[in-house]
Amino acid sequence: MSTIAAKPLSTAMRDGLSFMGFLRQGGLVGVRNHLAVISTVALCNRIAELAAQRYEAGNGESVLQIKGEFQRGLQLADAQLQNQVIRQLIEHPNIGAALVLCHDRRSAQALQKLFSGKPVEVLAVMDGEGVENTVDLASLALKRLSQQILGQVRVPCPFSKLTFALECGGSDASSAVCSNPAVGQFVDVAIAHGARVIVSETAEFIGGEEVIRAQSISPEIAQSIINCIAITEARMAGDGDHYRGVNPTAENIEAGLTTLIEKTMGAVCKIGNSNFEGCLSFGQSPTGPGLYFMDTPFFSPCSITGMVAAGAQITLFSMGVFNPSGNPLAPTLKICGNPQTVKNWSDGIDVNLSSLITGEMSLDEGGNQVLQAVVDTANGLVTKTEKWGEGQFIIPRSLPVF
Amino acid sequence: MSRISLTVHPSDNVSTLLDFQTDERTTRDGLLLRESIPFGHKVARQEIAEGQAVIKYGVAIGKATKTIQSGEHVHVHNCC
Repeated sequence: MSTIAAKPLSTAMRDGLSFMGFLRQGGLVGVRNHLAVISTVALCNRIAELAAQRYEAGNGESVLQIKGEFQRGLQLADAQLQNQVIRQLIEHPNIGAALVLCHDRRSAQALQKLFSGKPVEVLAVMDGEGVENTVDLASLALKRLSQQILGQVRVPCPFSKLTFALECGGSDASSAVCSNPAVGQFVDVAIAHGARVIVSETAEFIGGEEVIRAQSISPEIAQSIINCIAITEARMAGDGDHYRGVNPTAENIEAGLTTLIEKTMGAVCKIGNSNFEGCLSFGQSPTGPGLYFMDTPFFSPCSITGMVAAGAQITLFSMGVFNPSGNPLAPTLKICGNPQTVKNWSDGIDVNLSSLITGEMSLDEGGNQVLQAVVDTANGLVTKTEKWGEGQFIIPRSLPVF
Repeated sequence: MSRISLTVHPSDNVSTLLDFQTDERTTRDGLLLRESIPFGHKVARQEIAEGQAVIKYGVAIGKATKTIQSGEHVHVHNCC
């Protein structure tokens, strides 16, 4: 494994990378200042939606909606994870103020106690007196909360305040050699500037064990990541899906992929030449700067949810063919090097790397374009997924639901 | 028009062909192709002796099962 340092991007870009962000309690920084309505359970989703619509109609400002699913009926680790992720989303630095809707008063009181520094109001839907009245109470709460973030302005912040979520979807030959390596170039620069970067989707690392050994700061960290991969591989085998034995598939071989590690590297090269500093569970926050692995399912909306819960403020989403997903809370940059996809989906793509394929652009320049788009997004430029209101939150479950 | 190929990492000994001009025999960076190589497939940038690592992304993705000449197609017939 070579350990060639990242090639320098343009000097002007590398010197003193900074952006204008919203300073939060505890030194956290947001790249957005959302007024959010967070429904902790599916029972409250419609009330939350109606309250957001009522507030938006009256005030001309948009409200970010985060919707719940299960709550009761979850067991043990699933119930804990559900509660943990909801708390983390409320605390997320891209949210300036949040209205949280619970179904019952006991859950609402328990949640309200947790938030002291941030404008958060928690309402129990059961405390309302009718649908109309509850929607009214909720939209009035949104009005009060909005006034608390009214005067907040962006201030200069160093790049080291940022955490990035890395994702790929709709992978093809172009993403393996264009958009993913360009993201890798960006990652090396971001880490050199003290940022945190999280990569996830454990199944995508099957076959990449040697790379993890070579690119981890200690054998213990490498082993903890490799253990996650082994557990995932064994679970997949339980479904009769023997990943290692059948990969690369006949289709992959026809497309030019020779070995499993080559296939895996097509996705794993997003990490650039950086070394793993730690292995995180779903939603667990990095403890310091650098590159982190997070053990998550491979479904994009779910893996991104884990990284955003861990504090990622921006998502980098590399594509070959188009994949619409993103995250509503952490602005998602769609990065694509496939000329046909760029042509058809320009209204859904933020960074066009198709000139890498035509040879008009080098990978360094590609990395530079990603960096420029990240800085613009951190400063407030609206991404395509934000424009379309695209994105989901999905929290994984591993146990039966009662 | 010469062919477009992309070398992901400076230490790679293979490049990936990224166009469909399979009748052409030179790449834009001056490499001579010994055969027709499809889109998405790899070409050796230098001689790779039998048993030596095939390197892409700066990583050994496999070993040459026979000596591969510069400009030869690298795939399952000579690498595993």
